[in-house]
Amino acid sequence: MALSDLKEWLYGCTHCGTCKDVLNIFSPACPSGEMYQLESYYPSGKMLIARGLTSGALTLDDEVLERIYACTGCLSCEQQCGVYHRQHIFEVVQALRTEAVTQGYLNPAYMIMVDSLKKDDNVFGKSKSERGDWAKDMGIKDASQEKVDVLYHAGCMLSFDPELWEIPRSVINIMRAAGTDAGIMGLEESCCGGRAYEIGYVGEFTKYAEHCIETFNSLGVSTVVTSCSDGYSTFKKLYPTVAADMKFEALHMVEYLERLIKDGKLKFTKELPLKVTYHDPCHLGRHLGDDGLYEPPRSVLQAIPGIELVEMERNRENAWCCGAGAGVSQANPELGLWTANERLKEAKATGAAALVTACPWCVRNFRDAVQEYDHDIDIYDISGIVSKAM
Amino acid sequence: MIEAVKSAVVAELEKIVGNKFVSTNQADLYIYSYDLTPAESNWPDVVVLPQNLEELREIVALANKEKVPVTPYVAGGNVGGLTIPLEGGIIIDLKRMNRIIEVNDVDMYALVEPGVTFGQLKAYLENNHPSLRYTYAFSPQSTGVASNAIVQGLDNLSFRYGAASAWVCGLEALLATGEVIKIGSGAASKTWQAIAPFPELDGLFLGWQGTTGIVTKMAVNLWPKHAYEAAVTLMPMDLEGAYAIFQAIIRTRIPDDLIGTSFQLNKVGEAAYAHLKAPIYPAPPVDPKDPEFVITAEITGNTQKELDAKLEAIEEAVKAKCQGYKYLGPDTAPSTTAAFPMQALGVLSSGGGLMWVGTYGPMSTWLETVKKGCELQDKYNIARTCYTRMMNEGHFAGLRWMLPYDKEDPELVQRIKDLCDEQLDLVLENGYIPYKTPVWAVRKLEERAGDEWIKLHRRVKEMLDPNNIMNPGRWGTPG
Repeated sequence: MALSDLKEWLYGCTHCGTCKDVLNIFSPACPSGEMYQLESYYPSGKMLIARGLTSGALTLDDEVLERIYACTGCLSCEQQCGVYHRQHIFEVVQALRTEAVTQGYLNPAYMIMVDSLKKDDNVFGKSKSERGDWAKDMGIKDASQEKVDVLYHAGCMLSFDPELWEIPRSVINIMRAAGTDAGIMGLEESCCGGRAYEIGYVGEFTKYAEHCIETFNSLGVSTVVTSCSDGYSTFKKLYPTVAADMKFEALHMVEYLERLIKDGKLKFTKELPLKVTYHDPCHLGRHLGDDGLYEPPRSVLQAIPGIELVEMERNRENAWCCGAGAGVSQANPELGLWTANERLKEAKATGAAALVTACPWCVRNFRDAVQEYDHDIDIYDISGIVSKAM
Repeated sequence: MIEAVKSAVVAELEKIVGNKFVSTNQADLYIYSYDLTPAESNWPDVVVLPQNLEELREIVALANKEKVPVTPYVAGGNVGGLTIPLEGGIIIDLKRMNRIIEVNDVDMYALVEPGVTFGQLKAYLENNHPSLRYTYAFSPQSTGVASNAIVQGLDNLSFRYGAASAWVCGLEALLATGEVIKIGSGAASKTWQAIAPFPELDGLFLGWQGTTGIVTKMAVNLWPKHAYEAAVTLMPMDLEGAYAIFQAIIRTRIPDDLIGTSFQLNKVGEAAYAHLKAPIYPAPPVDPKDPEFVITAEITGNTQKELDAKLEAIEEAVKAKCQGYKYLGPDTAPSTTAAFPMQALGVLSSGGGLMWVGTYGPMSTWLETVKKGCELQDKYNIARTCYTRMMNEGHFAGLRWMLPYDKEDPELVQRIKDLCDEQLDLVLENGYIPYKTPVWAVRKLEERAGDEWIKLHRRVKEMLDPNNIMNPGRWGTPG
């Protein structure tokens, strides 16, 4: 969406500051504003930048760009704001990014991502030939070659980060134990395009969305399951804007796990004595609006014998972001890690020994922050915890 | 600022607080250049965010040496254009100076730095001192506790205790000349319980809009939080009835908070809270069956029995004194206290703009003023949006007409400005004085107050700020 198409929303913000804190709890809500403190880094500041650029009071320069890109797209501002433009704040930020791309201001970190997308269908600069490596030796069905009922879409992060391969491998083990007829696309899997959308490359996003929808439809699968929250919200919220005809059901792994437990297909055989807290990924919560998946992961965790689940102060729709979103972990690691550290401090305050989440971007960023800030808390994806108890 | 001076000042500021907390970027300067009112914008030259008194002291010393204006800032939501730097210079954003230094449970006060917000204090009290409460404004949680007191805001305990400046029981201020002075008991002891019996020098800073110094610490009274609370609502069919109901309730001395709004403002608010633009222009049609006003009294009690007795006493007082008037109610509902601080300021903005002629004045002319002010709204085809709050047990009233507007609509902006001009003349004639006084109203008040009054203000300002660097162009501007 171009800025000129969003004029309706640009004058909604009075700069009242409601977006700065979680309503009624009054804990910080915006990672970017909280770290930098200058008004221009808060959501209201970005709205005013958009207004200034549109009215001609401002022009794009490197420092303005830095502010535009210092946003994890967590949507907490949209949760806290009560004004009529509230559901369009991040849309305006994205439009600012699109405007930057249109004007030829290319962020070097994003250019690497986009070049990699164009060349190798992933955002990490990795060779496409490595995409299915996580599944080597697992003997998983190749959905591009044989018909399966459920397609597991690993996504870019889980495909190319060997330190996270335990997550998709756990998923496959769970599905096998539950008797699911599942397969993967292996080498033929491609990026969902969500990241391209968030950093302003709408054309790239559209290309991937069309490709993925066409591929999933042609495979004849009933369900596409993913562990990636970004990918899931892209499937659920963005793909319908590209093509309405999606002949498959998209599920996040937390939904699938809950379904397996309810249907009695997943049995826990081991006790796991562990006090954990659950971090709601932004893309599994606020990005889904009223369809946010807040209870399924909690009900899965509470079904595991021995698990004690404790809540952080900011949870569900008010969760503080992990810091990795909207390209921040690649382009502004300082902001990404600072944000994760704030969350880890909150997690530690609950007395939990482990933080469990349901998004590989969150897992990666939290694990990096644990190292960077020397925390003693374990970070798990929910599938990893589930498979430990089987 | 001359470019060479600016470069030197920026370099010095960066040495004081570090690069990260100094900005000359156009985005920042633009954002701090205007507010939600139609006040004329003016860009600062640089924005700086100190973290402690020492950094702030060095910044002000630098500004005073270079004769560069400084404008203190916390959230900018004062609805008076008070943080727009009229003469450019340095915006000192105080949000990083946000320590709650002390909450004294026995002496019932909090000592806070200027960046402490309503939201922060409320959360802190609820988590650590749940038996105590502070007073909160109609404004958002990001509002500064100290700045609200400095601009004499009206809050949700104002019926009982008056404007927010009345809650100040001590302060510390930094002068342009570098002195850090303490006022109140804290100047001579470890506790900050009261200004008395010292001379009330807090008046050198309260109401001055940051033109005499920067408040670096403020002690504010806290109050016991009662376990039982309720809101009682009455809806008179005309303004005469509203006036009679206010008089009846005032004389009971019972409520913590006593406010009234035009019924139309409530309807506008309902739309705004449903995430729609507040529809004030053209004024929506009025149903003659609708009441004119909505009056709400907030009541608290130590026991349910006490609360019930208070509710009964209010009901009886209204029944006895308002027999000749038509009204709906009283209806009792859960208290709205928990909703403060609130989203309303932003929600009601309706296009980035919110304006009002906000005033404090006498109850003796309240009825005439409200009537004429509402009639002016009719004349401009703008919905009646009166908001009034009884202050200090009815010794004076807060009164304003809330005017949300779309900043992108120049015709509406002009309409709002014209209405405000007429309303300002009206209120001044009736003894109502604009609070958080915007600079255009300052000049009108100076004309009315006369030369001796202006001279005194200038002498005070000159004594504390000889180079006129503190938020210049407002109170005490040199002639």
